[in-house]
Amino acid sequence: MDPDAIAAIRTHDDQRGLSFFGETPYVYHCHHYNLFHDQTIDDVLGEERGTQVRTAAARDAFRQLLDECFTAAGAQTPAERIGLAQTLFAAMGHGKTSIEADADGGGRITGSHLHYGLCWREKYGQKVKRFDPADAVTAGFGIAAVELAHRLHSGELRAIEKLCIAQRDPTCEIELSRGEAPRPAEVLGKSRVGSSPAQRGLWEDQIEPIVEGLLQFLGGVAGDERGLVQAFNVFVTAHLSNYYNATIFEAMHELERTSPAVAGSGEKLFREAGHVCVFNTFGNILLSPEWESLVGPLPDDPEAITAFNLAIARSLGFGHWLVPEFEVGKRLVLRTTTNYEAPFYINRYGLADRPRCYVTEGAALAFAVLAHRVKWSQRPSLDQAFYDSLFRGAGLGWETEVVADQARGDDVTEIVVTKSS
Amino acid sequence: MSRSMLEQAVVGVAPLKGIFITAMPDCLLYDAWQRDENDLDVSDVASYFGDLVRSNREGLKALGSWSSDMLVTIESADTLVVLQELNEHFVCGSIFDRDAPLGMVRLHLKRMVERIMDQLPKVEAEERPRGVRLVEFVRRYAPDPHAAILRISVRTGLTTEQLDAAEELQAADVEKIEAAARRILGLTQINL
Repeated sequence: MDPDAIAAIRTHDDQRGLSFFGETPYVYHCHHYNLFHDQTIDDVLGEERGTQVRTAAARDAFRQLLDECFTAAGAQTPAERIGLAQTLFAAMGHGKTSIEADADGGGRITGSHLHYGLCWREKYGQKVKRFDPADAVTAGFGIAAVELAHRLHSGELRAIEKLCIAQRDPTCEIELSRGEAPRPAEVLGKSRVGSSPAQRGLWEDQIEPIVEGLLQFLGGVAGDERGLVQAFNVFVTAHLSNYYNATIFEAMHELERTSPAVAGSGEKLFREAGHVCVFNTFGNILLSPEWESLVGPLPDDPEAITAFNLAIARSLGFGHWLVPEFEVGKRLVLRTTTNYEAPFYINRYGLADRPRCYVTEGAALAFAVLAHRVKWSQRPSLDQAFYDSLFRGAGLGWETEVVADQARGDDVTEIVVTKSS
Repeated sequence: MSRSMLEQAVVGVAPLKGIFITAMPDCLLYDAWQRDENDLDVSDVASYFGDLVRSNREGLKALGSWSSDMLVTIESADTLVVLQELNEHFVCGSIFDRDAPLGMVRLHLKRMVERIMDQLPKVEAEERPRGVRLVEFVRRYAPDPHAAILRISVRTGLTTEQLDAAEELQAADVEKIEAAARRILGLTQINL
């Protein structure tokens, strides 16, 4: 499958603000979010269990995608299928891989520029020594590719990362073998993503042309010679939302079962992931030359910045996000008629008994903070110190309340963000 | 030590940019003086200097080369940093202009330290509970400091309220915090 063929199966549903490879929903996230997400899964579950859950979630998510791609491309032989899988994985920004596997599934995956391992080393490698490998997503992807290439049932292969550049090895190497693995779990497809009718919020005339421009730009984004997407001052992946959702909700459910007293801490961490996402991905898009050429210089105007962030959310595949009410300095209401979290939850677990829109809620709060507390015209550097000054502890200044959540059966998801008294 | 006393101690030391007094073993800021106002977080700087001196001391002890009057000299691009233990309770970190002659720096240091030592209180250190020190250590060094306490919480099963009152925790809970701290910081052991 050449890049044009990959582009041909990419679609964006304007009404729902969601992106798909064929039937498979995907969303853009940067390496800051991806690393924080995986770190939180391991914090909640421990490294061994966390790696197992992340690997299985990646396997299930990529199996859905690859199965469809192989059929669409008419890829029949193992060599065709493995080659296609590698091309797609690199095009999504996850890194260039080399997969060698025999007919019974034994083999190995190697890569020296895998998104997770490389980005972890870049971001944290000077500060922290890592004890465990970082590339569960590649492991899960590799399992799915080999299982489908050799027509094995899902759950027959397991993967162990033996070398990882995040642990200062020169390359990443993942060993594949037959063995007991978690049973496959159902993932969400396009046809099962429900949504309420699209609504119009504030500033729609401003938002819609920006979405159009951003989608055009994103349509041309693909992995470089390393299989990485380096744009907007971050490493970006087109990643499968089934992976994010399966890992977050499995981790939260397990935490609620085993340590209910600290379930609130887990929820706060996943909301924090929403802050990390908006600050880094959205913020760096706003500060990029591409943005300036598309929209113009950034004003210090909370309404304009919020409108811009809504446009970015829709373009990246986060769902149809809108703001029906906004009072500068006091209140922001974020509503989604579709987001990428709720449909997955309902599809896999049924109706939720509490709000489950963690990333959306965290993003809503970050919208308010970025709109009111950042002098965009001064083009600040979005580094850790600045993040801490905005989001750490008592300096936050804003609080959220989820007043409706589609995962609980409400028509929309709605988060009210208010200035703390 | 009052501000005026520390200011008196640095009188006439032209190449001095700043000085930080850190109370040990908790690496807490005791006092600081800077030539120019800036956005430095003086508490953080004092803590890092304290940890650095402690690490240096432990490393030299492991080599059998430690002596109580050691100086740690760091030559960075634009500053010369000299760290020294004043006594078992205080560490002094002095920051000089990079082009100040080392011999002159040592002379200034000797005089400053004599003045400072006269003003330091005689203390009897009260060792704080290990749980408290572990939590502070993680807050200071975790790669995502904004999430440090929540990360310890989900790893240990202890609520953030319990962690805020870590002095009340039982030994088994402190062990959980230490295990979490090692994981979060990528350390095989933590010497506090």
